[in-house]
Amino acid sequence: MYQLLLTRRYLTSKIMPLLASLAVVLCTAMVLITWSVMGGFLKKFVASGRTMTGDVVITWPNTGFPHYDDLITRLKADPMIAAATPVIEAFGLIQLPDGRNETVQIRGIHGPSYAEVTAYGDILWWKPLDKPVPADKKAQDPRVDPKLKDLMGRLEEQGRTLTRINPDTGQAEGAVVPGIEVSGFNQREVTGFYTPKVLLERRKDGTTRAVDVFLPRNGEVILNVLPLDTEGQAVQTVTRRLPVANEFHSGVFEFDKNIVLIELGVLQDMLMMDEALRAVDEPAAPTAGDGGESFAGTPPAQAMEIEPARVTHVYVRGVGDLSTFGAADPLRIRCEHIYADFAADHPDVPAEWNIRILTWEDLNRTMINAVRTETTVVLVVFSFISLTAVFLVLAIFWAMISEKTRDIGVLRSIGASKGGIAGLWLGYGLAIGIVGSVLGLAAAYTIVININPIHEWMGQALGLQIWDPRVYYFVKIPNEVEPDRAAIVFFGGLFCSVGGALWPAIRAANMHPVKALRFE
Amino acid sequence: MTSHPAIHPTILTVENLHKTYRLGRVDVPVLRGIDLTVQRGEFVAILGASGSGKSTLLHLIGGLDKPDREPRSNIRFDGEPLGRGGRLDSYRASAIGFVFQFYHLLPELTVLENVTIAAMARHRWGWWRQRSVVVPQARALLERVGLGHRVKHRPAELSGGERQRVAIARALINRPRMLLADEPTGNLDRQTGDSILDLLIEIQRETSQTMVVVTHSAATAQRADRVVRLEAGRVVEVPDLVAAGLAV
Repeated sequence: MYQLLLTRRYLTSKIMPLLASLAVVLCTAMVLITWSVMGGFLKKFVASGRTMTGDVVITWPNTGFPHYDDLITRLKADPMIAAATPVIEAFGLIQLPDGRNETVQIRGIHGPSYAEVTAYGDILWWKPLDKPVPADKKAQDPRVDPKLKDLMGRLEEQGRTLTRINPDTGQAEGAVVPGIEVSGFNQREVTGFYTPKVLLERRKDGTTRAVDVFLPRNGEVILNVLPLDTEGQAVQTVTRRLPVANEFHSGVFEFDKNIVLIELGVLQDMLMMDEALRAVDEPAAPTAGDGGESFAGTPPAQAMEIEPARVTHVYVRGVGDLSTFGAADPLRIRCEHIYADFAADHPDVPAEWNIRILTWEDLNRTMINAVRTETTVVLVVFSFISLTAVFLVLAIFWAMISEKTRDIGVLRSIGASKGGIAGLWLGYGLAIGIVGSVLGLAAAYTIVININPIHEWMGQALGLQIWDPRVYYFVKIPNEVEPDRAAIVFFGGLFCSVGGALWPAIRAANMHPVKALRFE
Repeated sequence: MTSHPAIHPTILTVENLHKTYRLGRVDVPVLRGIDLTVQRGEFVAILGASGSGKSTLLHLIGGLDKPDREPRSNIRFDGEPLGRGGRLDSYRASAIGFVFQFYHLLPELTVLENVTIAAMARHRWGWWRQRSVVVPQARALLERVGLGHRVKHRPAELSGGERQRVAIARALINRPRMLLADEPTGNLDRQTGDSILDLLIEIQRETSQTMVVVTHSAATAQRADRVVRLEAGRVVEVPDLVAAGLAV
């Protein structure tokens, strides 16, 4: 029990154990911060991949496939599948009100069913909020402004249906929902919300005027897409002026900067993938010539037929949480079986061996593996660096034991055993480890939780922007501490501290009592 | 009839005790066949010049050091040979109390803690049960040595004499059967040294405490029940200090 008493006294009366604790604090904090941010990056990446695609994607790019309604009906009938939605993915040009053209990925969706498969309802940005985001202490977010509540409610509804009422006709028109970073007309504030910009326009007479460029209120954009025929050949560019219904914010900069959502029917129409009566080439029929022999040089006749609507993708959401690695594989296999039955009944769709059916993990495999490898490498490197704490504790304990040699002799003279002396120093190492790890975890938690404000402050005060969303994919730095990781780092800190104390403790235990008492 | 373990009148028997130190490649014999007995309740002073092996003898008796393997030595305490390892730890914790010349108090602990730490080392996990008994005993002991009002002080705040009083209280907290004191007054001025010696003798008289005191001071030695002198690594009994020309 003297060990507890002395440990307590040594901890509070010496500067050296504080240095050892500080080493453990720094190492545990460094590892946990790194692991939390890098691990959070991977987790966020995984989550974001599913945010806009669901768990499994059935895809036949470019030309797409027909009868998707039947496929979706079959998918929804399966107990493993919670929802499915048709999607068209294409590339195009968007022309913004200030004349800029941007290359974007255009995604045609059916709002209600897309929201069932993905987090679409959550990522719509302009909607009324009851309370501001946590960092917005002054409630400056326009979404919490009571005066804008009606507008925000209307925008939310517009976003869900991807339509906007035409003030001239009173009719709902198909509209687009671009990512919040597409237009560049929204200012991202430090506290985590967006403010629509007001542009100053220079007139010919030299005066300026303020121009409201809040697109979802009354803005329009021009979309240019390139339809492909059933052979995959480009037909002609289709240009259409479309109203903006809302904007979305997925938190993934790549998505928010490059994706424009559009009402599915509108995109099908623009890409000529809608149901329509179209002329199709028929093979040249044998024609009787003058000599009665067949003549093969006649141009093919053209027939008119109803071509069913097509989509390039069907997104599928499974029942339950499939966010862990490998969890979506059974769902993919199930989708393959369902598609095989579907293809057997529809000869005009791609065969089951041609179609691509991918899980969210397959879709993002390259990036996931890269991030995983990077996380592992960084963790290993930082863990090795943290091993310096072991040697630091060892050196400090070695010095302390030299200083306390006579005390060790005194303890042996009053009956302390070798094991008791070793236990004293190991317990002391454990105490330093506990103090260091707890403080390290607290420091890491504080830093990780506040890493975005800290980063913003560094940007403002020091001009440093370490986390560039264009490079690191996400608008915000991941800021969650996983309890199991914190526990592992905590025990790692204890291990380092006790490990560093081990050799000095053995040395202390093996000291000759008389030599220790005579030590000067 | 029930039998009781015999209480030996002789508490310590040392026979043919040899101890040699190795300095580099040279063997330096310090004790060359010590024979010594100590009776229960006796105050024995071991007198000798510096380097005569007094402290070595005390350390060997107290189980802090081990005699040479050859020739075979024999140390018996209460009729039992001193053991090794854990038994020696237990012997030091419960049967022996040490008082050192330089007090050897732990500077981070208070006076009270410096006394109770010996009981902690003895009782180990049982300390939690014993604490309510031992702490009042420690306070009483500190009262007895005149430091009842300084229990919360640190050693650095005490004078040399006060520190030695704390060391005496620490040595007595486990009610040892034998107190071993190594030059207990050697680091104190004469007046303080006398008061410490008075205290030790008072306690020895009150409790019939067996006490072996190593000293090079004839003044200290002449207050003992019996004096032995170490010469050339061997014990020489000194029946009469005056006759031996050692009286002060």
